[in-house]
Amino acid sequence: MVVGFAIVAAWELVTAVGVVAFRKPMYNALSLVANMLGLAVLFLMLNAQFLFAAQIIVYAGAVMVLFVFIIALMNPETDISFRPRGTEWIYGVVFGVVFAALLGGLLFNRGLTGRTGAFTPEVIAAAGNVQTIGIALYTRFLFPVEVTSVLLLVAAVGAVYLAMRRIR
Amino acid sequence: MPVPAYSFLLLSGVVFTLGAIGFMVRRNPLVVFMCIELMLNAVNLAFAAMSRYLNSLDGVVFAFLVITVAAAEVVVGIAIIVQVYRAGRQMDVDELDLMKD
Repeated sequence: MVVGFAIVAAWELVTAVGVVAFRKPMYNALSLVANMLGLAVLFLMLNAQFLFAAQIIVYAGAVMVLFVFIIALMNPETDISFRPRGTEWIYGVVFGVVFAALLGGLLFNRGLTGRTGAFTPEVIAAAGNVQTIGIALYTRFLFPVEVTSVLLLVAAVGAVYLAMRRIR
Repeated sequence: MPVPAYSFLLLSGVVFTLGAIGFMVRRNPLVVFMCIELMLNAVNLAFAAMSRYLNSLDGVVFAFLVITVAAAEVVVGIAIIVQVYRAGRQMDVDELDLMKD
């Protein structure tokens, strides 16, 4: 389990660096696909099978296909994807180090306490992972689910409107 | 031997930081979008990890909603990027100032 986590974590870090650092947008997109597949494996290790399936279907299946299509369609030039001067990279890395130090400090100075719930892995396994989450979604979290459905409708309408319209 | 929760949260923080660096450094709007997705994914990992270690379902449900919102966001964002590209603008977030004037 620990060895598996180490392998997947290294995979995540390498592909995340690839998303940020590759020059060609297509390579960035493929790194992001690899990153999302690794994340799906991490979800599986965390006993979140439903998230595993949603991650594969929605992210790796739909969102990244959209990205790859658009990149193949537009074929954006690669020369503008990096700044001509190196100073912004330095600023970015300095920001990153400071931000990571803040996050790490926050993480290790506070204990990971919280109100524990009733959904131990045994309880979830007895009822089924998807069934448990489905019941939670449509009882306790009904209002957020409805709001999200409205959001999806608005996004679909907005995308159709933007696709019909021509700027100038 | 189970993996401690700290390791998942640390990995999530590092990936989030990488996404934030990319968001600020890269200029191609599509790559900027990918960095946003990277950050959202890192947050989802933290949600799932805490959900697992606190024996709660809230984190999983929240991560699911984040996935949905991210999909909606990508659809609208890519539609806007394609429109800007069709208008013949340069694909550079520093040069995009259509809204300014």
